[in-house]
Amino acid sequence: MDEALVRARIPQDLVKVLGVESQSSSKAEAFTQAFLKNSIQQHARHDLKSMLSHKAVVLGYSRPKKDKTRRNSKKAKGLNARQKRAMKIFQIKPEHQRYELFLPLHELWRQYIIDLCNGLKPTCSPQSVQQKLLKADFHGAIITVLRSKCPSYVGTTGILVQEFKHVFKIITKEDRLKVIPKRNSVFTVEINGFISHIYGSKFEQRAGERSAKRFKVRGTLDL
Amino acid sequence: MAHLLKDKEAYERLNYLYQAAHCVLSQNPENVELARFYCFTQRTVARRLVLKQDPSVKRTLCKKCSSLLIPGVTATTRQRRKNSKIRFTVMRCLSCGQSKTLLNNPDYCLWVDRPEAQLEQQKQPGDKPQINTTQQLLSRCVV
Repeated sequence: MDEALVRARIPQDLVKVLGVESQSSSKAEAFTQAFLKNSIQQHARHDLKSMLSHKAVVLGYSRPKKDKTRRNSKKAKGLNARQKRAMKIFQIKPEHQRYELFLPLHELWRQYIIDLCNGLKPTCSPQSVQQKLLKADFHGAIITVLRSKCPSYVGTTGILVQEFKHVFKIITKEDRLKVIPKRNSVFTVEINGFISHIYGSKFEQRAGERSAKRFKVRGTLDL
Repeated sequence: MAHLLKDKEAYERLNYLYQAAHCVLSQNPENVELARFYCFTQRTVARRLVLKQDPSVKRTLCKKCSSLLIPGVTATTRQRRKNSKIRFTVMRCLSCGQSKTLLNNPDYCLWVDRPEAQLEQQKQPGDKPQINTTQQLLSRCVV
């Protein structure tokens, strides 16, 4: 069928010219599905495959209605809180998404941290590494709850997917999305031999704000 | 000129967040929200520490909803033309509908690439590596 032609890989000599490369067929499949879902307008009601195989699909009308909102307001910057709530957070994709899909992210994180500290445990003192870790980013790290006031959290391990102001969102090996509050918990992060404990109560900042904030030594390090 | 140390770490973090967004999107092209979250974090970090980013990076982020714009996956790209032979490219973010207009002038030289800018400061550690990885990652993402 013609479908096989569409999915064929680009010949080698074209790869260098165009500067892009073909992906493996499973990934290409995933991308095609996503693209189709985005382009076709009524996907919510019908199944994609049945729609495509039966009849011609209207992708879009030739002259879409222009937006009647004030043409003069060129600056449409910024978002309201309502729009933020509508879009930004995770949908129920994690049932869709498996743990394996986040492993490349973890690899990327590991390389990032090694680059950041430029060395392993014997060379640098723990102090300098700690300082860098304070400002570093933890998205993609494998994090474990070591001690916590609520005993049911202890022992949970997974890859950190999102970091909010008071919680971590973790995906565990069983593909479950767990939401763990930062307060009154101790987390541990392991970087090829170097283990570091993080006291969650002191880390209650939005992910972006933490790199801007200076930390003072205040209070005891208890749960 | 001395590189400011805390800025270098911050640039590395920006770079990492950008690459992580690409990585997540390449693993699962339907999960736009997570890529959007990472780009939002990146923009927050850059805004708090007032860091300059290279235009090639800024062009791939939506200004309104701060999602990662990849032509074909999260954004549509069209060529338009005003009558007097001025052509421009319009990229529209699929999630929020915000459009971005870029002028097609092949002779246009960005400020960063001009020799005057290079003389004032040596290479910033954050900007140049981003360009290289952007190309690599974009080539990986395209089908």
